[in-house]
Amino acid sequence: MQFFGGSEISPSPPAPTASGNNGHMMYVFNRNGVCLLYREWNRPLRTLDAQQDQKLMFGLLFSLKSLTAKMDPTSAVEKGNLGMPQLPGQGCSFHSFRTNTYKLSFMESPSGIKIILVTHPRTGDLRESLKYIYNLYVEYVVKNPLYTPGSPIRCELFNTTLDQYVRGIS
Amino acid sequence: MVREVSESCIDSLLTEMVACYCNRFYANKPELAARRIEAIGYQVGHQLSERYTMDRPRFTDHLEAIKFICKDFWSELFKKQIDNLKTNHRGTFVLQDNKFRWLARMSIDPSTENVSPVEDITSPTAESKAAQAMSMHLYFPCGIIRGALSNLGIPCAVSADISNLPACVYLSLSHNLEKTF
Repeated sequence: MQFFGGSEISPSPPAPTASGNNGHMMYVFNRNGVCLLYREWNRPLRTLDAQQDQKLMFGLLFSLKSLTAKMDPTSAVEKGNLGMPQLPGQGCSFHSFRTNTYKLSFMESPSGIKIILVTHPRTGDLRESLKYIYNLYVEYVVKNPLYTPGSPIRCELFNTTLDQYVRGIS
Repeated sequence: MVREVSESCIDSLLTEMVACYCNRFYANKPELAARRIEAIGYQVGHQLSERYTMDRPRFTDHLEAIKFICKDFWSELFKKQIDNLKTNHRGTFVLQDNKFRWLARMSIDPSTENVSPVEDITSPTAESKAAQAMSMHLYFPCGIIRGALSNLGIPCAVSADISNLPACVYLSLSHNLEKTF
């Protein structure tokens, strides 16, 4: 993933085989912007260290949420300035964007948990898949007596189950 | 009429009970915390066995009571029966549950821990911390079983061992045959 302008435009990667791995990477953030989980399956290009990458990703999502809500042509609510934080549930929300080399899918829970999954560009609608992943998070992380809310996720059961599930997404 | 309780509420309550006794009330006295948690379990087991034997005739011998614990009592609490029951015919029983419900969500990821030499010396590793937490969580079910059997006329001692994750739990019951004859 390249955030800054390289002039080179790479062609689309080949479509994955039936048994191939379609997931590139996944992030989970909490309401405060803490990166609870970074999981990587296929990421050939890397331009930032992990901490900067996670901050940049969170900032991207924050800005996209704000931008899409401000652009909403159907809402009559007073919108304030671009970048002004919104109340939970206020305004519309986006669920994905696509480039020629990848697709980013996004989901946010009422509690502020944000799940980001980056996949092959030809991936279909992943909204139900992200809901299922959120369900895995509740079952294997929130219900784990050893897990402290707000801390990075270190649950082998969750990682294993997540890897198996993402491998099957197409 | 069947009454139901949200399992998430029970799970959270159990987690918080153990956390309170281990990290707050007896933060530096794990032995005292264990005894308190077991005592709570004993009282709960005492009451539950009264409730779950309400419609049953009296047990004719100890083996019948222990089979009740393995089948009906375990199903009421953990939604499945004990997987294996063994005895040495001298008062000791081993009950094996291959996927103990109350530990099924307990998990760490040892591969991501940064275990440095200094940390090795000054603090337990993540794995041993997890093992401690798991054993603390087992005092409550041990107390439940001891309380239930005591109420059914079988005073006993109950201990637990963990084999691997997802949790395979062995509960060991032993009681004094001479005392009961």
